[in-house]
Amino acid sequence: MADYLFDGSFEGMLTAIYLATHNRDKNAMIFASDRYQENLFSEIIRVETDSEAADKVCQAIKSKISREALEHIMFAFLTEDMTIGTLVYHYLNFGWQVKNKLDMYLDDPRVKSMHTLSRRVKFEKHRMLGLLRFRRLSIHEGVYYAPYEPDNNITQLLAPHFARRLADQNWIIHDVKRSVAACYNKKDWMITDLNLTQVPPLEKDEVLYQNLWKRYHQSICIKERENSRLQRQMMPARYWKYLTEKM
Amino acid sequence: MDLAEKISILADSAKYDVSCSSSGSSRKNTPGGVGNGHVSGICHSWSGDGRCISLLKILFSNDCIYNCAYCVNRRSNDIPRASFTPEELSDLTIGFYRRNYIEGLFLSSAVLKSPDYTMELMLKTVQKLRLEDKFNGYIHLKAIPGADLKLIEEAGQYVDRMSVNIELPSDQGLKLLAPQKDKKSILKPMGHIKSQITDARENKTYRKKSRLFVPAGQTTQLIVGATPDHDLSILRLSEGLYKIYQLKRVYYSAYVPVAQHPNLPVLAAPPLLREHRLYQADWLLRYYGFSAGELLDSRQPNFDPDLDPKCCWALRNLQLFPVEINKADYEMLLRVPGIGVESARRIMIARRAHSLNFDSLKKIGVVLKRARYFITCRGKFYGDAAFKETALREKLSEPVRPYQPAGSSKPTAPHIEQLTIFSAWQGDVSFSTPERNTSLVPVQEKHVSPAKEGFHGRLSF
Repeated sequence: MADYLFDGSFEGMLTAIYLATHNRDKNAMIFASDRYQENLFSEIIRVETDSEAADKVCQAIKSKISREALEHIMFAFLTEDMTIGTLVYHYLNFGWQVKNKLDMYLDDPRVKSMHTLSRRVKFEKHRMLGLLRFRRLSIHEGVYYAPYEPDNNITQLLAPHFARRLADQNWIIHDVKRSVAACYNKKDWMITDLNLTQVPPLEKDEVLYQNLWKRYHQSICIKERENSRLQRQMMPARYWKYLTEKM
Repeated sequence: MDLAEKISILADSAKYDVSCSSSGSSRKNTPGGVGNGHVSGICHSWSGDGRCISLLKILFSNDCIYNCAYCVNRRSNDIPRASFTPEELSDLTIGFYRRNYIEGLFLSSAVLKSPDYTMELMLKTVQKLRLEDKFNGYIHLKAIPGADLKLIEEAGQYVDRMSVNIELPSDQGLKLLAPQKDKKSILKPMGHIKSQITDARENKTYRKKSRLFVPAGQTTQLIVGATPDHDLSILRLSEGLYKIYQLKRVYYSAYVPVAQHPNLPVLAAPPLLREHRLYQADWLLRYYGFSAGELLDSRQPNFDPDLDPKCCWALRNLQLFPVEINKADYEMLLRVPGIGVESARRIMIARRAHSLNFDSLKKIGVVLKRARYFITCRGKFYGDAAFKETALREKLSEPVRPYQPAGSSKPTAPHIEQLTIFSAWQGDVSFSTPERNTSLVPVQEKHVSPAKEGFHGRLSF
């Protein structure tokens, strides 16, 4: 029984799983090294990311279990949950036994936790498709800039949607918490590291549209049906920081 | 008048239209264009009343020639009037859309000068959006009753969804409160849109490049509580609309008293519980395979305030229950109170791996509060009550809600209940289940208030 530490990447996690499986270590724990809390009793194995090993695991999941299982793992990984490596490892160990029936065992704790995590990511992604707010900046021919702080690392999941939708404008989706951004230049999008100490000035019409939106938002509410609890339930307060209508 | 002022006035007048969804259309973006449809729809915000904001829901004009008693925009009402120009409205829509405030435009209007005149202006707006501005986001357009069918047909080529509001669920109701409208003038455009939609769909199969016509279908809205119609007649009407006119959705709007009129009822608060029950029943019609006749009949033309429609149906048909969770087919699982589309789906999947017991049902996330009284797991019954109607009814009765019946002795209700019905169904079906809609009230200690007992008169057995 050992603790396997990987570099935090998806491939790193799969490499660690590859090694743990290879060592027949059923009780192995797998952690991202930056989120690992050392303790006295465990043996530590530091894993060097090996894309070949990672690819082998990927292929094995697809051929021996299912594509669906791989998809669950990919989504769940984006939660950056402390225990994600270990959870995936146990999920897969069960998967090697039951093969393509894995995702039918909805009452098994190993399957259930994986499904819960992947659902959480998909849910937040969908929520953010609506709650993301762009503001037009006065640089780069009026680039549209959307800062946000999601619970999960979903920037790469949002980008394709906005590349299709807002195809004729430059935009940046900025995960302020993780200092990661998706940038789009009317052709392609890419993920980069982005750390802004100061947001560039807004374009001159921007405040006008923001005020119109706030005005609209107030007018559309039916006073007789006022229900701020429901509003909070659907649109949690932790997202309000970047919502134009709540600023 | 500046734009902000106009938005205030015209959004304020549009807010009583409850239609919110932006689903059903997967319109693609065009080269150099902006926007596309997202087939499940996307909610962009939630207003202070907890209803979702998906589309820029706004009137073209609130300057109406009609004088319908229930309507806030009636001619005799003393409110500020405003109208947009097509240019203002399209700029506003695109400005909001590019900032991801909205999913598209929901354009309705009061009847300005004449139905044709109004419809022409609305048509001009959507034409400008689609043709000049290359806008491919969602557009929901209201068809003005009485407008030339040619205009409606032309507009249908540009928009994703169309709707004609019936508002009052019976012809008598219309005569009483909206004398300028009649059943025929409402159903005529509805029928025309339906035949055009069918036409476009049929042609799609053998024509390579077929025209789009209202790809997300049509909807309508009924006002609940402004006329003395029973729930049964409302539900029958909805059923007919779904079957005959192939509507995507019927919206129900609890009547909010916006006017005083001898023909209008005096309500202390909007009948929100009744609206909620109708939505529950509406879901049963569309997703659960029920028919209106199963849920209500002439002996019981209104819904039970204490129990949801599916529970009531189950209690009347106890001979069908309990069902064995490992054997029942999908259709029967859907008919078990407390089991919704998502739970039924999970049961179907999980029992392929192994047979399920009560504990595994809990683990896969089936809510058993009501379901336990109607199922067996591996032959065993887990309800803690005798399998008789009276005993079950007592167990199932929902906790008392702060509900004030019409004309109750107390002044305005201090607490107006609210429901998530508008918002929960916007997301992907996979994670927003109808079951979430039906279990809205947090579990509370059951206590019977004297006022409630006096009103319904049958809580104890």
